[in-house]
Amino acid sequence: MIQGKTAVITGCLQGIGRSTLDIFAKSGATIFACSLKKTDEYTFHLSELYQRYNSEIIPVYFDMMDNEAVKSAAREIQRHKKNIDILVNIAGMNHDAMFPMVTMTDMQDTFQVDFFAQIIFSQYIVKLMQRGGNGGSIINTSSISGLDGRAGQLSYASAKSALVAATKTMAIELGPHKIRVNAIAPGMIDTDMYQNVPSEIVSAKVQATQLKRMGKPEEVANTILFLASDLSSHITGQVIRIDGGMGA
Amino acid sequence: MNNLEKYNKAFMEILNVAELDLESLEYQKISAWDSVGHMQLIAALEDIFDIMFDTDDIIDFSSYVKGKELIAKYGVTI
Repeated sequence: MIQGKTAVITGCLQGIGRSTLDIFAKSGATIFACSLKKTDEYTFHLSELYQRYNSEIIPVYFDMMDNEAVKSAAREIQRHKKNIDILVNIAGMNHDAMFPMVTMTDMQDTFQVDFFAQIIFSQYIVKLMQRGGNGGSIINTSSISGLDGRAGQLSYASAKSALVAATKTMAIELGPHKIRVNAIAPGMIDTDMYQNVPSEIVSAKVQATQLKRMGKPEEVANTILFLASDLSSHITGQVIRIDGGMGA
Repeated sequence: MNNLEKYNKAFMEILNVAELDLESLEYQKISAWDSVGHMQLIAALEDIFDIMFDTDDIIDFSSYVKGKELIAKYGVTI
């Protein structure tokens, strides 16, 4: 589906980003795998992917809290002189707090990583997409919190909601360049994010889904793969819920 | 090809203008230099000179002449 294409994926260290990295490698893409930091486990995983699928994977490390680092990362990618076909913005952060307890610092940090840095990074990468004149596909990671709201997630939900508006606006502006822009809105996905959530809360949330289970990171990654590929060639400006029917 | 020739070539090829018209060329004064043309021009110049413009500079890039001044910030002399 994306054999021979070049993708930039952020947030590859774990969770949905890791699963997307795996599926893209399996699908034969060249990947700029962006993550916050380098770990032994992650480095070993990248080498395993290369050995298993022979996909070219170029690790890029930067902190999305730092706009200069975001630019440096884009510059590093630019130096490889590859036409970028796909950008998947997954890196994110979350500060849970009830509305009266939300601090300005938490809100600014969340918006920096979940919104501002993603827009800035996309601005840089879009220019690399235009080189070949073949357009491309951008997938932003929103959340059902950004669509429905969620108690205790004012900062996160607001930033993810802003990302939906940005996705639609970018789709309108980048359409003439043959660049499609879509967003995914995962619901409860079985990642590290839920490790510290009390089991009764997890259980209640599972019951709120129609499929009565948490989603798997690879199920989200498969949707990203679809949006990245030509199978979705006439889809742009859309938000796809991956929530087991939570919003049905 | 020197830097000025490379710079001019990018404008002439992407915006389809003659060399004689370059000095007076301004953003949105000709149909080819619209927002789409602007992005193509910026991408081409970044490739040619191996630089990456800051967003503020992309916005400030309002003419052929202004572009020369902005590119100098990235260590490229035209």
